[in-house]
Amino acid sequence: MSAQETPVKRINHGESPILSFENVSKRYGTLQALDQVTLTVNRGEVVCLIGPSGSGKSTALRCANALETLDSGRVLFEGKEVRADDNRNARQVRRRMGMVFQNFELFPHLTVLKNVTIGLTTVLKLDEAAADKRALTLLAKVGLSDKASAHAANLSGGQQQRVAIARALAMEPALMLFDEPTSALDPETIGEVLSVMKALADEGMTMVVVTHEMDFARRVGNWVVVFDKGRVIEQGPPRQIFEAATVPRTREFLNHLGWHGESKIEPAREPKQ
Amino acid sequence: MAIDLSPFANSWPFLLKAVALTVFISAMSMLLGFVLGVVVGALRTYGGRFFDIVLGFYVDTMRSIPLLVILIWIYFAFPLVIGASVDVTSAAIVGLGLHLGAYMAETIRAGLTSVRRGQMAAALALGMSHTQAIRTIILPQALIRMLPSLGSLFVFAIKDSAIASVIAVPELLRQTQVVAGNTYRPFELYTAAMIVYFLLCFPVARGVDWIYRRVAHLGSS
Repeated sequence: MSAQETPVKRINHGESPILSFENVSKRYGTLQALDQVTLTVNRGEVVCLIGPSGSGKSTALRCANALETLDSGRVLFEGKEVRADDNRNARQVRRRMGMVFQNFELFPHLTVLKNVTIGLTTVLKLDEAAADKRALTLLAKVGLSDKASAHAANLSGGQQQRVAIARALAMEPALMLFDEPTSALDPETIGEVLSVMKALADEGMTMVVVTHEMDFARRVGNWVVVFDKGRVIEQGPPRQIFEAATVPRTREFLNHLGWHGESKIEPAREPKQ
Repeated sequence: MAIDLSPFANSWPFLLKAVALTVFISAMSMLLGFVLGVVVGALRTYGGRFFDIVLGFYVDTMRSIPLLVILIWIYFAFPLVIGASVDVTSAAIVGLGLHLGAYMAETIRAGLTSVRRGQMAAALALGMSHTQAIRTIILPQALIRMLPSLGSLFVFAIKDSAIASVIAVPELLRQTQVVAGNTYRPFELYTAAMIVYFLLCFPVARGVDWIYRRVAHLGSS
């Protein structure tokens, strides 16, 4: 039974989406980074954005987080328009969203613990004791309690990224954005980051993940959006995208990564450990 | 040439007070220069075109006028503008501080721009304002990176305080001249002054270097 024959039911379908893009376009000079992008993210969903490098996936995340102004269209978060040109609005939006970057972007002058508490003390104005308590809980959750007093320079890439996830979670976001969270990692540490992300998804966290990890998109994602040259060329549940993509460009992209949609799909594998 | 140290026996309290004033003027002008440097450096980097142009004018002016001329102008010409005389020590601190501030601003600006852009994005993503992000995330890293240059500027602040002797600030060089004139022992007195300046500057230079070696890794994002 192919996905096209089944009416696609998305998680919390029919409720107002937590995040939506309405005909969003964004141009950098002559490069059309986003071209009439429309997509929605429902509460509780893990939406994976896939596609070739430079296809607009990361730009879409930056637009969601009010780090980019739009040329046209709208981005709505929790029913309100996201406006990068309005500092107050942008801060309110970002406070409710966690963002994890490809290059971790831990703050090198602060300890691991301070990296996690800095948002709590400066933005949420928590006192130090309460911030430390929350941070230590989150560091335990990502398996790094013993690194609380270390600095970023003394951590592996995988450990740094787990701290970055804890830092974002500390703000108790309604939505987590991941911008190629494993692209800068050594192969042996990718698994530990993906495990943390999967655990988060299992808890029901709403996540938008820009990724080249097709295993993750297929196993953990509830909805997959395929980007090419700034456009959304196809979207659907992972089964449809990975087994029965309707757009040739999607199949071409997946084949290029070693997926073969036409053939029998191999059983889902564990993320690399 | 016989060495005669007797002038020190009589004049050491007088000279010690002068050393104290040199330290005070240096420290105050460093403080003023540092605050100016941070504010001007940050505004030029993040404050948009207007601040960049206006403050760029300040920086270029201060770098193009000899410190000696600035001090003389503040002490002898500025009082005519405001219609009141200025205290020599304040004039010296303001002149030295304004001059130092321009160099500090350039150094701090270079430090701020050298911090990876992603650090700002990460700070903003936590919901911080630009000001909070600069204060808690970007500036500390910039200062750590620029510590060796800032250390040199601090040493310059001590050395340049001697220029204030021309407007008769009773600091080390000026008071040494006074004692040398009274006792006719210029060799002993100026040598002593030289040694004292060295003893003031050397620990600052080495100390900053020592600190930098211990914190350098904290500034590398």
